[in-house]
Amino acid sequence: MNEGLRGTAAPPAADIILLLEIAMGVGLVAGTWFARTGLFRQHAWCQSTIVLFNLAVIVLGMIPSFRVQVLPRIPAKLEKSYFALAAAHATLGSITEILGLYILLAAGTELLPEKIRLTRYKLWMRSALVLWWLVLFLGFATYARWYVPNLFR
Amino acid sequence: MRRSVSGAVFTAVAILAMGVLGARANNSSLAMQAKAESTEVKIDNFSFTPATLTVSLGSTVTWTNRDDIPHTVVSADDPKVFKSKVLDTDEEFSFKFDKAGTYSYFCSIHPKMTGKVVVQ
Repeated sequence: MNEGLRGTAAPPAADIILLLEIAMGVGLVAGTWFARTGLFRQHAWCQSTIVLFNLAVIVLGMIPSFRVQVLPRIPAKLEKSYFALAAAHATLGSITEILGLYILLAAGTELLPEKIRLTRYKLWMRSALVLWWLVLFLGFATYARWYVPNLFR
Repeated sequence: MRRSVSGAVFTAVAILAMGVLGARANNSSLAMQAKAESTEVKIDNFSFTPATLTVSLGSTVTWTNRDDIPHTVVSADDPKVFKSKVLDTDEEFSFKFDKAGTYSYFCSIHPKMTGKVVVQ
């Protein structure tokens, strides 16, 4: 195997996605800081951009790989960490992204019917942020299991 | 009479010995042929072993995934000469090489994993 600078077996696309996800995780924390300092407009722009950009990364980068490499093997091979980590990352990641989109629509637009709009914004937003970072850590674990030789041997 | 009997015995032993030697030679050439026709590449620990394999024309190469994570075997040529499905642990992929040349290949999940088959 020709090892790159990072010494992993990851394709460039996986490295780019990993770096983008780290940047987005940090960006969301920065966005939270905007809200705490009263810069609500910047907060809205920051979090909305990240949620929408992440949707594009999921659709273009993660789903195709998941469909080919993981989906045909689950649930039969879920006992293997290779598939279990990816499945957990995908499941929790989907829930978090949907929650993010819901918060975006509920807080930033008037598209949703009044009945299903949010009333306790802070609780939902903080929950989404915690989930996001949990998913990010699952993403690190998945990357390591898939692309770092000798890590689990 | 005694001389003719011993001569016959000697001739029979000689024929038998030649037969045995001939059979052994045949077997060993058959074994060599079999070796040339079916060859295995092991996939383990993010690498193909051997990384470069030389086979004779018409040989079938079988890749076996002994790693605990999935891999693929994909020809680097354009258009692709061969392409496996995603191979899980202990799954195999075989391809018969009918044309001489050097065939580079890689794992599409881990593109830094590369190998070559030289067909002579």
